[in-house]
Amino acid sequence: MFKGAFSIWGRDMLVLRRSIVSELVSVVAYPLTLYLAFGFGLKGYITAVNGVPYPLFIAPGLISMTAVNAAFDESSWSMWFHRRVQRTIEEYRVTPVTVYDIVIGKIFSGFSQGAVKGSVVFLVILALTPFRIDYTHLPSYLGCIALSSMTFSCLGTICGTVIDKPENIGRVQSVIIVPLIFMAGIFFPLSSYPSSILPLIELLPTTAVFEGARDALLTGAVPTHYLVNLVLSAAVSFAVAVYVFNRKMAE
Amino acid sequence: MSHAITLHEITKSYDGFTAVDRFSLEVARGTVFGLLGPNGAGKTTLIKILTTLMRPSLGDAFVEGHSVLTAGKEVRRLIGVVPQENNLDRYLTARENLTLHARLHGMRPASYNPRIDELLEMTGLASRGNDFPDTFSGGMQRRLVVARALVHEPRVLFLDEPTTGLDPQSRRALWDYIRGLRRKMTVFLTTHYMDEADALCDRIMIMDHGACLADGTAAHLKDAYSRAHTYQVEFKRDAERYEGVLAGLSFVKAVEREGAVFQITLADEESIKPLMDHLGGADIRRICLKEPSLEDVFIALTGEKVRE
Repeated sequence: MFKGAFSIWGRDMLVLRRSIVSELVSVVAYPLTLYLAFGFGLKGYITAVNGVPYPLFIAPGLISMTAVNAAFDESSWSMWFHRRVQRTIEEYRVTPVTVYDIVIGKIFSGFSQGAVKGSVVFLVILALTPFRIDYTHLPSYLGCIALSSMTFSCLGTICGTVIDKPENIGRVQSVIIVPLIFMAGIFFPLSSYPSSILPLIELLPTTAVFEGARDALLTGAVPTHYLVNLVLSAAVSFAVAVYVFNRKMAE
Repeated sequence: MSHAITLHEITKSYDGFTAVDRFSLEVARGTVFGLLGPNGAGKTTLIKILTTLMRPSLGDAFVEGHSVLTAGKEVRRLIGVVPQENNLDRYLTARENLTLHARLHGMRPASYNPRIDELLEMTGLASRGNDFPDTFSGGMQRRLVVARALVHEPRVLFLDEPTTGLDPQSRRALWDYIRGLRRKMTVFLTTHYMDEADALCDRIMIMDHGACLADGTAAHLKDAYSRAHTYQVEFKRDAERYEGVLAGLSFVKAVEREGAVFQITLADEESIKPLMDHLGGADIRRICLKEPSLEDVFIALTGEKVRE
């Protein structure tokens, strides 16, 4: 079972291995720049948020952002490219693998890319900055990142499946994904929001991703409501991704 | 069961347009079957249904006895597919493309590695196994797609316009591979090239508007559907005058002229004598019965109008 998914995932990892250096340079550059610009640039103005030093406050969010962005990018562009440009999805579909194998393979590829790239950003921030953590908190943080990457990988798969024009994938990223990420409080505490909209912000899956990951890394525990949100988001987006892909292939 | 492929009353409609209309067919095992038709005739739709990429609106199709509707996975295990476009993975080498295909078929390295070596050798790509498809010519890419479709030793091979866009040498090379497959597996081929069908196929079907128009061997189709009463006549002089004479003869059904050469289609075989009486013999340089080609059959059945 899922041998086909494993083969497709294996193919994607082989391709990633070939271009790992150039991929990582571009992936590390963006969050590291943000960390240096905000963490150090604003350190003199914002010393601490809820008792947490500002560079330490933003670091978990930047690592999580790298992971979920990588998961979304890989899943959306890879699915679109294999479907519309190379048409390799058609080649997969005339072999005994099922559509579930294909979509699960692609989702795991996105998830793996997110995990690899997030880990590298984590190591780079660790190596170049005074950012330090309690390593006993790492398992719950990684669990949080795994669920988040799964959700974004599924969202990417949905976009790569239903969107035919590549520029529209870019539009979804800039109009939906980036605002959802930045609204979720990577750079500022959620308490900055007016109390009237705070409950809505707390319901966003990205809030659970970034707040949950921060709590996991700094305290070792993910608040229950964020954990439920993460699990539900991953489960629902997975079900929708499989359904959408199945329907698209049947057209 | 002697049929590798059976289509039973297949209909495929999209948004009110019927691409295939109650189409039935049986293809004998071990034969090379050619499906001909103009653009939009329904050939690719049939291949998509037989390879489980598309579900029919009505009817069912069977490959080696397995229904495309209820046993799609079994069908896909038994088929190899060469699509119209070279859908190779440009980020994998030639060998890796074949390896991925083998893995998707659940093959183990011990069985797929020697098979891949054999196929790369057979297709003349042995020295290019570690190169990426983007560095290959169109003919080499096409050969790699054929090799990929054969990795798991399918029992039925579908080739959708396999030589479109290839130079004559590459076409001939691909024909040789396909000829080599005869009797080892059933080959279902679609093509626009009449010479290709003539050279490769044991049986040919011509379809248009989703329905079968003619079915048989190339020789049978030429006998049955060609314009058997067409003669080519070349005049030494006075071609204009003879054009006028021919236009006035009731038993002459059509006249096509190229310089002094006329292609004259008669109403029946008996009309040749009155034709000679009217033309006389003095000005005729050459007269011969035009040998029918498969293309004549195709045009006679599907018309000369260019399709969208």
